[in-house]
Amino acid sequence: MEKDLIIQPALKRTTLLPAFSTRSMRTNRWLERILAFVFLAPSLLLFSIFLFYPLIKSVYLSMNLTDPRGRVVQYVGLRNFTDLLTSELFYKSITVTLSFILLTVPTGIILSLILAWLAHTRLRGVQLFRFVFSLPMAISVGTGSIIWMVLYHPTLGTLNYFLSLLHIAPINWLSDPNWALLSIALMTVWMNLGFQFIVLLSGMQGVSEDIYDSAQIDGAGPLRTFFNLTIPLITPSIFFVTVVSMIGAFQAFGQINILTKGGPMNSTNVMVFNIYQDAFVNYRFGTGSAQALLLFFIVLILTLIQFKVLEKKVHYQ
Amino acid sequence: MNLKAMRRRPMALLFIVCMMLLTSACGSTISNNASSDTTKTNSGSETVVESVKNTEPVKVVWWHSMSGELGKKLDQLVSDFNNSQQAVQVEAVFQGTYDESLNKLKAAMDSESSPTLMQVYEIGSRFMIDTKSVTPMQTFIDKENYDTTSLEPNILNYYTFDNQLYSMPFNTSNPILYYNKDAFKAAGLDPEKPPTTYEGVAKAAKALTTEGKSGASFAIYGWFMEQLLANQGKELIDNGNGRTSPATSSLLNSEAGVSILTWWKQMLDDKSIINLGRKTDDTKKAFAAGQIAMTLDSTASLRGIVSSTEGKFEVGTAFLPKPEGSNDGGVVVGGASLWIMNNRSQEEQQGAWEFIKFLAQPSTQANWHINTGYFPITKKAYDEQTVKDNLAKYPQFQTAVDQLHQTKPSLSTQGAVMGVFPEARQLTETAIEEVLNNSKSPQQALDDAAKAISSKIQEYNQTVNK
Repeated sequence: MEKDLIIQPALKRTTLLPAFSTRSMRTNRWLERILAFVFLAPSLLLFSIFLFYPLIKSVYLSMNLTDPRGRVVQYVGLRNFTDLLTSELFYKSITVTLSFILLTVPTGIILSLILAWLAHTRLRGVQLFRFVFSLPMAISVGTGSIIWMVLYHPTLGTLNYFLSLLHIAPINWLSDPNWALLSIALMTVWMNLGFQFIVLLSGMQGVSEDIYDSAQIDGAGPLRTFFNLTIPLITPSIFFVTVVSMIGAFQAFGQINILTKGGPMNSTNVMVFNIYQDAFVNYRFGTGSAQALLLFFIVLILTLIQFKVLEKKVHYQ
Repeated sequence: MNLKAMRRRPMALLFIVCMMLLTSACGSTISNNASSDTTKTNSGSETVVESVKNTEPVKVVWWHSMSGELGKKLDQLVSDFNNSQQAVQVEAVFQGTYDESLNKLKAAMDSESSPTLMQVYEIGSRFMIDTKSVTPMQTFIDKENYDTTSLEPNILNYYTFDNQLYSMPFNTSNPILYYNKDAFKAAGLDPEKPPTTYEGVAKAAKALTTEGKSGASFAIYGWFMEQLLANQGKELIDNGNGRTSPATSSLLNSEAGVSILTWWKQMLDDKSIINLGRKTDDTKKAFAAGQIAMTLDSTASLRGIVSSTEGKFEVGTAFLPKPEGSNDGGVVVGGASLWIMNNRSQEEQQGAWEFIKFLAQPSTQANWHINTGYFPITKKAYDEQTVKDNLAKYPQFQTAVDQLHQTKPSLSTQGAVMGVFPEARQLTETAIEEVLNNSKSPQQALDDAAKAISSKIQEYNQTVNK
């Protein structure tokens, strides 16, 4: 009796409920999807106007020639791309861009890591240092470039004045092709320091104190704690900073436009500046767009590589 | 759970990263100055208000590139004009350097925010004509039988194409050699006899170089290269400097071009000059600080240099040097001219023409000349007492005027015209840098630059419908 009573409802459940629940789940899933698109619609609309449309337009422009007013006059197929891929200047600007990244990203991250480590203590007055270290973030590219322009001035600049006190011959920071990229990189490292510092410091502050305490009890010194605990634990922050800084370095423009205009001898002519020159100064939207698309693919590939390779080293808690 | 998070997060990050990349790509929108509807704030606003009741004055928007002291002087000219009559009110809008301002014009063409009157540097002339968006000045001149005989023929020549004056010259300059008379005395050179030849400059630079001070420095500026070529009577591009028919190739790598760079490089190798880069501002500052004894600069800098060195040392000015034995040529008119855009109403264009006539008056030109160093575009300005007094007090101003008047008219001194002039200048500057930094020989650098410029010219010709 008891068994029967129990079995019956159980049977009912197995026969009726599954059919009913799958149907409701399917409609539910559909409703959810539609709802998701409704919520996404505003941003999708904005993205299509400001991102997808320009992207498609770039593809179109990259296959055409434009007149001095920027109007399309002639379809040339892939000529803009073949011209670029056979031009010395294009490869030069890729090399310059890559060396610029190598000069700015690792140095910037190492420096800000050190600063963040120093500022991650409970000493009195450390707030002041944190404020000072993150200050470059508050300065715009334009202002920063003008400040450095004064520092770098060949005859009246502060840096050359200090060199003269040490009896070192003045350096043409911005007009010597061997120095120009270094000078721009130096300025960029300083400018990005604030942002990188803040991200890394907050990463460090997110690490639980218990871990440090137990490491201390186990007898780990400060260096060992830093390399074996802090760095692995803040790898998500380091990874984020690396990716963002690299993309930022790819897009460095303001300081180059103000300080060197790509010169001397194209030694600071990074890709983005070259695109600007071609498209907005010489009104050659065809080659400009072609370059922009190539840059897009380079950045995309590099970012994918970072996510595939570097991401494996990242430790998410 | 952990695994899922690991898988999801990179995708989210990747997405954010892509978005950042895309959004920042369109961050550099061209800022169209929308100040065309800001109201005028003039000292004479009361009289303006009165006239508004009767008839609305025609508003003329003028885009210009005169910054600093020049900009202030220009604003004063505008308010003088606005106060002198009620029919036309000019609004001057500073739009950045010549390059920047021209780029803004390109973006604003055919739109409501475009100006009526536009100041364009001399090398933008071909481009302005090719856009077919300007009303030639000749149209207004012919309509009124405006007398142009008193205007400087050398200046008019530059802006005349196919026998039509396309734009009205406003601020004209040419390059001169500035030198420090005190340094000349200290080095045992005659301060009243500045060097006039390449050889002379090289010799003087050597004598003037002392511990911590250099004989000279020339900014790496494409304009100087153009001028030094014209000063030898050599053309910069083919087809009569692009005057007889549109140019097809660059003549930069001529023998004369190579000799200029060889001379320049030799002085650098002798350590009698220093290289301070592309900015004339840097050489100007070094000269004013007494760190270099000679420099090349535009006459437009004359006023600034004379006043910044007052009490420190005496500034001398001399003609642009030539190679020994060269008698041809002279300097090309530099500076900028005023263009009337044809997409504005007839009334506005007429208003702009009225303003241009005001600017071309001898008294206005005299005022402008004294305060800037640009030379007057009309010969009558020299009869003004203020100009005479100024020349007596600052004889340095005479150099620019004499240099202009002694220039022999020819296709080379009339100046080259090409649509890709700004780009050609960039390429020329790169070539000079390559030579000065030992990366290429003068011949090699100029060959490469000429080839690049020629291909740009040909591409331009292809895109401009003839």
